[in-house]
Amino acid sequence: MSTALEGELVIRTEGDIVATRHTVREVATQIGFGITDVTRIVTAASELARNVYKYGGGGIVRWRRVASQERSGIELQFIDQGPGIADISKALEMGYSTGHGLGLGLPAAKRLMDELEIQSDPGKGTCVTLKKWRAH
Amino acid sequence: MDARSLSVVKIREILIVTLPSDPDDSTVAALQEKVLMSMERHQAKGVVLDLSAVETLDSFFARTVAETAQMIGIMGGRTIVVGMRPAVAITTTQIGLALGSIETALTVDRALDRVMQLSGPFQ
Amino acid sequence: MAMAQPRGTENEAELLQLLVDNMSDYAIIMLDPQGNVISWSAAAERLKGWKAEEIIGQSFSRFYPPEDVAAGKTENELRVAAKEGRLEDEGWRMRKDGSRFWANVVITRLRDGSGNIRGFGKVTRDLTERRAAEEKIRRQTQEILEMAAVPVVQVWEGIVLVPLIGTLDSQRTQQLMERVLNRVTETNSPVALLDITGVPSIDTQTAQHLIETTAAVRLLGAEVILTGIRPAIAQTLVHLGIDLSNITTRASLGAGLRRALEMLKLQVVPASAGN
Repeated sequence: MSTALEGELVIRTEGDIVATRHTVREVATQIGFGITDVTRIVTAASELARNVYKYGGGGIVRWRRVASQERSGIELQFIDQGPGIADISKALEMGYSTGHGLGLGLPAAKRLMDELEIQSDPGKGTCVTLKKWRAH
Repeated sequence: MDARSLSVVKIREILIVTLPSDPDDSTVAALQEKVLMSMERHQAKGVVLDLSAVETLDSFFARTVAETAQMIGIMGGRTIVVGMRPAVAITTTQIGLALGSIETALTVDRALDRVMQLSGPFQ
Repeated sequence: MAMAQPRGTENEAELLQLLVDNMSDYAIIMLDPQGNVISWSAAAERLKGWKAEEIIGQSFSRFYPPEDVAAGKTENELRVAAKEGRLEDEGWRMRKDGSRFWANVVITRLRDGSGNIRGFGKVTRDLTERRAAEEKIRRQTQEILEMAAVPVVQVWEGIVLVPLIGTLDSQRTQQLMERVLNRVTETNSPVALLDITGVPSIDTQTAQHLIETTAAVRLLGAEVILTGIRPAIAQTLVHLGIDLSNITTRASLGAGLRRALEMLKLQVVPASAGN
């Protein structure tokens, strides 16, 4: 059975973090990433999913295959309606923790993926978009 | 054994803890409890953490492993991590986690030899 | 074409049908001028899935993926075949069950003596196997190129050697890390010798890559010895302020090998004289 290359999952319980890893692994593998890249993508997804669950009050993860003329890849989006991030650049520094405890998750994900974009405002929730491209 | 739970086996004075392929956060947290209590109960000299089944090691998991090793050290034991998969090692290195100064060995056998001090650092 | 059997339109037609039915590589069917199927064969059924009674009278667009039909590909093919006499195309086709196969298709205009188009002949060849073989060759070539780019050799039980040649960019480092770590795991080798004799110059990035590789190898339970460090490289490293104190280094591969054997508690002993 193959997972659709586009979809979304609710992140509401701790078990949903595992489900996110599982699904992202299947999708990334199907898109054709090698085992090392799949591991990078799943690890980044795990970090973000945990953030959504622990600090975002729950949310969703969306995934889809992206493609252009020369390459294809995966795009992940993590969305929550939580407290938001006050200082995004600081949050991306290694080891930063406000006591909301975002800690290593975001910096780790940034290193593992090719592109990472954060849209967040205090009180307005957070949307993190990640992309990784395959070498063709 | 449930695919998600970890197993603890005692060989002489050493505990071999086998971690499952994709444990949820509770299972990872339980690792610390279970290992430290087993250490106390069996008066273990060391703990071998077998990561050969682990497919993903994110910062939470890695931090727990590093902390557990520290705690084992405080209790007078030695920790050796074994069997990390290449993809996991590369990813962990890329994030910059490196698990602190934790000891590693290629196989459970070599780890056992080392803790029982049958030979030196290599082979 | 000489025939051993007595000639007669019926017999020829029968043999022709046998030919069409039995051909394993080609599915030959006929379409009317509008593109509807008017003749079928056992070979066509084997390739495309439809039985004769299910498909005769249907448009040949049934064999094309929906996106091609929507783009008007089928009308275009008939138009070109009608005008030029022949059209050849390679692309995806669909079977009855919805599965796809890569095909080579030739559509031939069938004109009678008066010049009227009576229909089209369509010969479809399943190229899935050939395409899979091509993919495999492409992949294997890629692998061979990667291996040549980062050769990893087991020089002794417990020691793998990586003779690096050329510069070490990010992409090559990725390949390097994967190949070394996989080999270390496969062979349970506690020592990996990274020889940079063939690396012309070293910059901060390259040094970073080597440090990262060492850290990853250590996570597996093995150790790295960096060898082949020429005076110029040693100078560059110090000038750049790169700290390699955490890594075992040797000037020559030989010295590195000696250290590796020491680590494995092995020694090289001269053979006794007068053997």
